Amino acid sequence: MIVSKSHVLQALAGLLVWVAVGASAGAQPVPAPNLEGVWKIAKPQSSLRPIDGPIPFTTEGRKRFAANQRMKARGDFDDYDITTSRCSSPGTPRLMLTPERFKIWQRMGVVTFDFEWNQAIRQIDLRGLPPAPDFMGYALVPTMTGTSKGHWEGDTLVAVTTDISERTLLDDLTPHTDAMKVTEHLRLVGPDTLEDRITIDDPATFTRPWESVVAYRRQPAALFPEDVCLDRHDAHQPAIPSQ
Amino acid sequence: MRADIAGLGRLKGLVLTGAAALSVVAAGAFAQTPPPGAPPQSAPEGGPPSQFGPPPPPPLTEAQKLAASLPPPMPGGMPPLPPEPPGAPKPASDPRDLQGAWVHDQNLEFRMQNDMYGRPIPYTMEGAEVLARRVRSLNAGKPFINASSKCRPPGVEWQRDLNMPFQIFQSKDWIEFIFEEYHGRWRVLMNPDSAPAPAARDYMGRSVGHWDGSTLVVETTDMKQGVYLDTDGTPLSHDGKITSRIRKVDNGDGHPFLEIVSTFEDPRYYTHPWSVVRTFGWTPSLAVFHEYNCEEQIGDPSTPPDPGLIPEPQD
Repeated sequence: MIVSKSHVLQALAGLLVWVAVGASAGAQPVPAPNLEGVWKIAKPQSSLRPIDGPIPFTTEGRKRFAANQRMKARGDFDDYDITTSRCSSPGTPRLMLTPERFKIWQRMGVVTFDFEWNQAIRQIDLRGLPPAPDFMGYALVPTMTGTSKGHWEGDTLVAVTTDISERTLLDDLTPHTDAMKVTEHLRLVGPDTLEDRITIDDPATFTRPWESVVAYRRQPAALFPEDVCLDRHDAHQPAIPSQ
Repeated sequence: MRADIAGLGRLKGLVLTGAAALSVVAAGAFAQTPPPGAPPQSAPEGGPPSQFGPPPPPPLTEAQKLAASLPPPMPGGMPPLPPEPPGAPKPASDPRDLQGAWVHDQNLEFRMQNDMYGRPIPYTMEGAEVLARRVRSLNAGKPFINASSKCRPPGVEWQRDLNMPFQIFQSKDWIEFIFEEYHGRWRVLMNPDSAPAPAARDYMGRSVGHWDGSTLVVETTDMKQGVYLDTDGTPLSHDGKITSRIRKVDNGDGHPFLEIVSTFEDPRYYTHPWSVVRTFGWTPSLAVFHEYNCEEQIGDPSTPPDPGLIPEPQD
């Protein structure tokens, strides 16, 4: 990656502007709404499905989905699902379907999801900062969890995630491209119930954006045990245990 | 540890005393003090030993000579850290609130060669032989498979020492360190009853902490396997113990940091406990981590399972 001096200086200058969201909170939780706690999916599910009918596949999307079905039937997981075959991160939004618990932390303008599964994390950046200098060229490669920017709309955390590697799936079968945009509306619908309304927008795979809703129940505070997916893999156990 | 810090103070005092003496003594013996670990020097011919400067260090043991004979480690370095802008979040004023984002802000030490006082590491011969085996294999282009190379948790010390950020989250019963790399978690039990001991040992061991004034003292034991303390493989056996003393330092210069003194106890590899000290700068701009997804590569069937690495012979 070639990083010009002016680019670096511009980015450094940008760091001098710290958006107020969370900045004054120091190491303390940002003011309400507060989604912090331990959560677990209310109804374990391996599939992400629209709330209003079947998945609106494009022709290409349906073709890739059908191919994934065939590979699953053959057990050729590494050809389409490297979470199952290698313990690679399920990414966004599939991490939100893992059957184990996760914690949410809200600190310094960043919402961190700390998953029990393989000690994975995803983060939503609410700080509104301009891009930091990227000396290592991280931005050149899409990641499994993508880049998530968020803001509050009343009691709802709105997160938009892009740059998600197409080596991930939406669930255990559904493909997408790296042009996908995932928009999530996270809010408490009760003191102990968290809702994530997930909108999938990927014109190459779906004919229109579609929405799915996943609910989570609050769990008692707990220290998660050490979890190493590769140890399960080596023991020929499922990468994602069913619960 | 307090005794050690007091010892450091005395050492500095001696150095300052010696430096002051040099200003009035034309050719003090202090200026010729050998480096730590070097053979003791005899008094200059025709005169008594100088009364200035620290006493000569003890001669190296055979194990320390073996460690000292190895090729030197790679020089340490670290990527540049972004400046923290005015208005960025500050650490909490409570010295017992360590929460926030931190990163090791000193050059990575590829191989620990001295303790925090500059004294050579007190290897047993077995410890020195393990280190020598690892360094020689590494320099021969055949590094051994270790936790890091297999995407497994590498242990408390290496995890912290990497120049990658981590965040600390605290509650009454435990303190959690979440690291950017290795899916790293360091879970410190402040109330051991709040989390039962696991049926099997964890890679990161079991860590129990308590406050000693404003210093968090954490004892880590019961590791699943021996760990590398650094990249070259300074060893700690699975029955070794790491005591971490962590305090938040804010000198008012705009650069608050955590100071962590690690003391290693492992009679198998070391003749007595020894310590290193590290500092970790306050870096809220690094609170959003880069993704770590080692598993994508290590499981790739198109590449060798352990590219270039070989199993380490077991003692």
